[in-house]
Amino acid sequence: MTYLLLFVEFFKIGLFSFGGGYATLPFLYHMSETYHWFSADELLRMLAVSSITPGPVGMNVATFAGFKTGGILGSIIATMAIMVPSFMIVIFISKMLKKFRDNFYIKSALYALRPATAAMIAAVGVRLFKGSIILALPKGFSEFFDIFYKIGEFVDIKAFVLFLFLFILSLKLKRDPLIYLLIGAIFGVLLHFRHILNLL
Amino acid sequence: MKPKLFEMFMSFLKIGTLLLGGGYVIVPLLNSELVDKKGWATKEDIIDFYALGQCVPGIIAANTTLFIGYKLRGKSGALAAFFGLILPPFLAIILLASFLVKISENIIMNDVFWGVNIAIIILLFLTVKEVWNKSIVDKFTFFVFFLILFLMLLGLSPSIVIVLSIILGILYKKIESLYLSKKAVFKKENVSPKEGAR
Repeated sequence: MTYLLLFVEFFKIGLFSFGGGYATLPFLYHMSETYHWFSADELLRMLAVSSITPGPVGMNVATFAGFKTGGILGSIIATMAIMVPSFMIVIFISKMLKKFRDNFYIKSALYALRPATAAMIAAVGVRLFKGSIILALPKGFSEFFDIFYKIGEFVDIKAFVLFLFLFILSLKLKRDPLIYLLIGAIFGVLLHFRHILNLL
Repeated sequence: MKPKLFEMFMSFLKIGTLLLGGGYVIVPLLNSELVDKKGWATKEDIIDFYALGQCVPGIIAANTTLFIGYKLRGKSGALAAFFGLILPPFLAIILLASFLVKISENIIMNDVFWGVNIAIIILLFLTVKEVWNKSIVDKFTFFVFFLILFLMLLGLSPSIVIVLSIILGILYKKIESLYLSKKAVFKKENVSPKEGAR
């Protein structure tokens, strides 16, 4: 039963995700909340590993999530399910290539789909930001001023410093995912050994 | 000259192994393997199929591969190319996944992933920025972005959001084209006496 559900869910990703690797993330995030096959935290780990292994990130993270849910069979089902809609659509379109590109409905749909995709990815980003950098939001007016002298209760300062550092770096550097992941990992290791290194 | 299925599979196996750092790297890889080495396609083909791959749902690199495979050898060609592309990453993920369960229990790895998670937030926003630059071109697309962001933060299912934005896009373009055609008729009526005088 789980395998069937797994197939259906990944089929939906294949059918509805537009715009590459990270566009699958909103779906997987939704999946983790609905079915609890994996936690949001595990999803991030899968995404990190998928970004540093060869192959398309979206495909990798699907394989990974399938494996997490149902072992090797699960990973095969997830990978196939995500491919089947693409396969059918590609064959259908290849047969009428010229018409497809100039079709009014296709053009209009894509016109709205691109900003929608950006927004969906942004929504995942906002949620992750809230989960890992902002620890709590002030409840009501009375707590609002607590922000100024008990900032540590609202914001994870170490995480915020790393975020700010990477953000400034992203303004200067080209978009190469590996660099950011690597710097994040190095920060993590430094954090782990902070007692020995006498940091922070 | 039609390439052999096995040869296609091997070529895409190579591309799948070398495809590091995101799907868009597939374009230079396809160029060097299919255009320069094998002569199965032209550079223009690759760009066209990559553009098409972005227009249909699914994983862009996989879509591009399916398009090219189909063009070279029909359905079986598409499948041979696709399985070649995903076999190396599939095996790599299976290997790492079994391994990751063990290293996840390690406390150092927890801190490593803590840092990596923050990096992922940055990568997400960079992706948003890139798509934003390409797609937010007017007031309507600006509106769609914030509407969808709001709906997603409310926890709406992504599939529903996608269907909704397709409907919105078609409705908007329909209304716009009706409005424009009315305007065009109006203009024509205004202009026609002048043209008649000429």
